[in-house]
Amino acid sequence: MNPNEALMEKWEVQLRKGTLELAILAALQQRTLYGLELLKLLQSLPSTTITEGTLYPLMDRLKRDELVDAQWLQQGDSRPRKYYRLTALGAQKLTDLTRLWRQSVADIEFLLANPGPQPLQITGV
Amino acid sequence: MQQAELTNNDFIHRYLNDLRRYLARLAPHESQEVIREIESHLFDVIEQQEAAGNSVDVAVILRGFGEPRQLAAQYIAHIEEGAPPPRGFKAIQNMKKSVTATMYFAMAVFGFSTALCLLFVAGAKFLLPESVGVWSTAHGNSIVVGFVSVPPMATPEVMGWWIVPAAAMLAMAVALLTRKVLGVLKQHM
Repeated sequence: MNPNEALMEKWEVQLRKGTLELAILAALQQRTLYGLELLKLLQSLPSTTITEGTLYPLMDRLKRDELVDAQWLQQGDSRPRKYYRLTALGAQKLTDLTRLWRQSVADIEFLLANPGPQPLQITGV
Repeated sequence: MQQAELTNNDFIHRYLNDLRRYLARLAPHESQEVIREIESHLFDVIEQQEAAGNSVDVAVILRGFGEPRQLAAQYIAHIEEGAPPPRGFKAIQNMKKSVTATMYFAMAVFGFSTALCLLFVAGAKFLLPESVGVWSTAHGNSIVVGFVSVPPMATPEVMGWWIVPAAAMLAMAVALLTRKVLGVLKQHM
């Protein structure tokens, strides 16, 4: 791995770390999922791939913070599974984080869409 | 096939047992909940892989969870307020452990040999009644206890035959105390 690739990976890890909670709350939006389902869903998307060892302790923390609640359910012949869903507090946090995320994307898109050399019109300061 | 299944289950049990040990700081029902969820995940994955006709390698599945100690650390991070333990922490723990092991054996040798000596004194009184006893010398300023070749001159022996039950009981008490202390030390090894 050349130094540039290493830097890229570092940045990717940081980004994933910062957005993971939003990704999980978004995945659980109006949906109940158990751990393995949630893991597979996140692993199916290139920028939200995480390991079991990251997911489960994080779900434990989200539950302790009352952003999700969990329930053991048994369907048919399958073994009982622990299903997660958003609480009202979790749904509220999802709304807040979504707003921040969209603002962040819009700002960066704006900068990317307006290269120099012309000076940028700065508004709202 | 049977053999392979056994090995997979062994792997899982060993992993979950280790994890349970490292989760000891959680309340029992909390740690049980963590174990149950991970166990359910593991068996789900195995079942799905078997259903898809793939060979199952539990070691690969467990790799996603990481080492039990590191996994557990994330679950108990909220209990361990403040900074995570420094990098040298494990070495310090190991050092403490070996000190405890040394203490364990030193305590065992010291305690049981003291008990044996006391028993020996009790037994020797029968063989050499003149040489075993407790003497008060120098007008009560000093005492000689135990097994001497030449009894102190002109000093009365204080205990007489009482030394036999006294030494035997003391031996028993020292042995019991030693066992108790060793039991406590063992828990910290």
